[in-house]
Amino acid sequence: MSEALLTVEDLRVSFATQSGRVQAVDGVSFELKPGEVLAIVGESGSGKSVTAQTVLGLTRSHNATISGSIELGGKELISAGDAELRDVRGARVGMVFQDPMTSFNPVYRIGRQIAEAIRAHREEVGKAEAHERAIELLDSVGIPDAARRVDAYPHEFSGGMRQRAMIAMALALDPEVLIADEPTTALDVTVQAQILALLERLNRERGLATILITHDLGVVAEVADRVLVMHEGEIVERGDLERIFYSPTDPYTRKLLDAVVRIDTAVPLRARRESEALLEVTDLVKHFPLKRGLLIAREVDRVRAVDGVSFSVRQGETLGLVGESGSGKSTLSRTILQLLEPTSGSVRFEGRELVGLSRRELQPLRREMQMVVQDPYASLNPRKRVGQIVGEPLRLQGEAKGGELRRQVQGLLERVGLAAEHYDRYPHEFSGGQRQRIGIARALALRPKLIIADEPVSALDVSIRAQILDLLAELQADFGLTYVFVAHDIGVVRHVSDRIAVMYQGRIVEEGPADTVCEQPQDEYTRKLLAAVPIPDPHEARARREALGTT
Amino acid sequence: MGRFIVRRLLGMVAVLFAVSVLTFLIFNVIPNSDPALRMAGKNPTPTLVHNITEEWGLNDSLPQQYVTMMGKIFSGDVISYEGRENVDERIVEGIPPTFSLCIGAAVIWMFFGILFGYLSAVRAGGLLDRALTIVAVAGISIPVFWLAAILLNYLTYQTEIFPSGGYVEFAENPLEWAEHLILPWVTLAIVYIGIYSRVLRSNMLDAMNEDYVRTARAKGLSERQVMRRHVLRNSLIPIVTLFGLDFGALIGGAIVVEAVFSLNGIGQYAYESLINTDLPPIMAVVLFGAFFVVLFNAFVDIAYAWLDPRIRLGEEAR
Repeated sequence: MSEALLTVEDLRVSFATQSGRVQAVDGVSFELKPGEVLAIVGESGSGKSVTAQTVLGLTRSHNATISGSIELGGKELISAGDAELRDVRGARVGMVFQDPMTSFNPVYRIGRQIAEAIRAHREEVGKAEAHERAIELLDSVGIPDAARRVDAYPHEFSGGMRQRAMIAMALALDPEVLIADEPTTALDVTVQAQILALLERLNRERGLATILITHDLGVVAEVADRVLVMHEGEIVERGDLERIFYSPTDPYTRKLLDAVVRIDTAVPLRARRESEALLEVTDLVKHFPLKRGLLIAREVDRVRAVDGVSFSVRQGETLGLVGESGSGKSTLSRTILQLLEPTSGSVRFEGRELVGLSRRELQPLRREMQMVVQDPYASLNPRKRVGQIVGEPLRLQGEAKGGELRRQVQGLLERVGLAAEHYDRYPHEFSGGQRQRIGIARALALRPKLIIADEPVSALDVSIRAQILDLLAELQADFGLTYVFVAHDIGVVRHVSDRIAVMYQGRIVEEGPADTVCEQPQDEYTRKLLAAVPIPDPHEARARREALGTT
Repeated sequence: MGRFIVRRLLGMVAVLFAVSVLTFLIFNVIPNSDPALRMAGKNPTPTLVHNITEEWGLNDSLPQQYVTMMGKIFSGDVISYEGRENVDERIVEGIPPTFSLCIGAAVIWMFFGILFGYLSAVRAGGLLDRALTIVAVAGISIPVFWLAAILLNYLTYQTEIFPSGGYVEFAENPLEWAEHLILPWVTLAIVYIGIYSRVLRSNMLDAMNEDYVRTARAKGLSERQVMRRHVLRNSLIPIVTLFGLDFGALIGGAIVVEAVFSLNGIGQYAYESLINTDLPPIMAVVLFGAFFVVLFNAFVDIAYAWLDPRIRLGEEAR
């Protein structure tokens, strides 16, 4: 056993808030050894990010109380002065954050931001030299054509490239420790696999000690050596990767493991439905023209977001629509609901053509087709009470008002697992999972026949995902709902769908029964999606890595 | 970019056209005395009034009168009803004092507005922040005419530190030019210092919670570098919009300040013309002011693309 690089002892962090003191971290102790990957796993609010950020003193503020000890190579960090702490930040400990879009400053070029990190610690390094170093770093994390891309702005990078660049920046000064705080949560599954492979390679090639913070045990199984499970500010279980996965002792760990959706386990076959088609989409096309021209805008090119899509969904079934960001699946959802005007093609609902109907003609049909959207934070108006949000469709359609409206809304809230007294609360008082329940209640309000759910669980913790998926399944059984379930994670989609359609570059490349698509994929792209899903089992994950030749 | 500029120019022409038509219509709708009657002097004879009406085309149809007046304004031949002087010449004379006043005041208010806003945000909740908040709120609430009167009373009439109003050409004597303008500059700038420092403070407090600020700290930048390079830089973007609008509007009429300090600029001319309901100079001054408002709006949009690379000019938003 080698000497520990980083030792955290009895760390306690609390914040003074308006509603009293919140104990975010409550007596956490752990060691990080050179060259190991330590995973800290827990749900939102478990204190895992606060723990990680406190290592770099990022949680210091006038309303925070921090006690305990954090030692990096014999140097105490909790009591360190600002200047001492700055020498550690970036230079000895590099950090990667969850959302690579918001974690870069949008107004500076990527290369400049990396150079800034270098020059913050090495004043003797000139601008040109720092720029050269930035190119090398970008190249080392697999950014193609780094010499040119170094001058790009963050918004010109894709999500995965931004996260690579973020890692490059964290590595700029050859730190001893890399802390990655949910580095793949905001990314597609396929991109997640690439970023995990990159972290693993850096660990292997440079012996970089890494703390990986995540809510997803599937991710952990792919790369970690040891695991800490955190719950409500405390470490409830710790151990080697295999022990945590194969013989967990704490009930909370077991709960987290159970929540992980396993793609390789077949979902019990549902009763085969031979009902009539509810939704028929034929040759649907949605192009966005790109216009240029001095006086008269001429179309110079078009973005083929949806490029000739056909499928049908039968009454009471769930069609899973899988694809990466940019595959056109969200545009397709909106075009089906006529929220975007299709360029051409046909959408039939209960045999009735929707394309070409006026707003007024669509109005009565809107109640039959509802949508649940991805971001439960951005999609609820923060200044409205939950009752108003859920009741709005009822009010707009003249379904109910006054006491009757209140009663119906409270019934809906209870139906989705919330309480009647939540009626008068505001969205910010709820957790992510609860907010998604509010979104579902709103979609249910008018008793629709069809619900299009666009990434309904991808913004949620893995443990919450399972609950929302169960709720959706339950509601489907009770109300005979038909779902189009849109997601980038084929594992989740398989779990809920009767049939799966795989979307790539605006087209459907494969469609079929869920099990067939997942077990005998015909299309190359489907195979790529399947291979990217993390397997929450260390042995199998290793076996797959070896098979793919990445180790 | 080329397309953007062309579109903006067309837009500017449209706005100026609308502004001039509205001004012209309003003038013709509000009750005012017949210009011909006023020009005829103290004891007008009907023949004289008739001749003047004919000569000035006041019996023509409104569209005809509008076209004639616009033609004169742009050819430099427009004559005011009151005093019968060449309006365009008066405006050209008014440009140096007005520009001196506005540019000088803008420099002062941008400097102190940003300085106070920055200090307030960095020391949010502290004593300095509270003191600056009081200064800012006072600056916003004190009426300009009162402040001007107080400054004139104490610093000019009682202590004779500053000269009492008037304008000296910069080319004539730069020191006197500045001496005459210091009080007007300060008077005009104080309101804007208050507004800008408050806006910047709240922008910066928002920006401090951004993820990229946390990234900047995690890289090991000093607090000062974090504040200047990341928080302040990004918070200045909305300030540019404000500045463009305010500065453009001021050129068209810092009426109160110009009048109190008798600077004889465009604002004062606008004021006199309005008192006299003298249409030709009103039209000319309004167009002049509107031109600068629209122009600075276009500058703001161009500056935005430079300040925030996510914005690309002239491309359709998808």
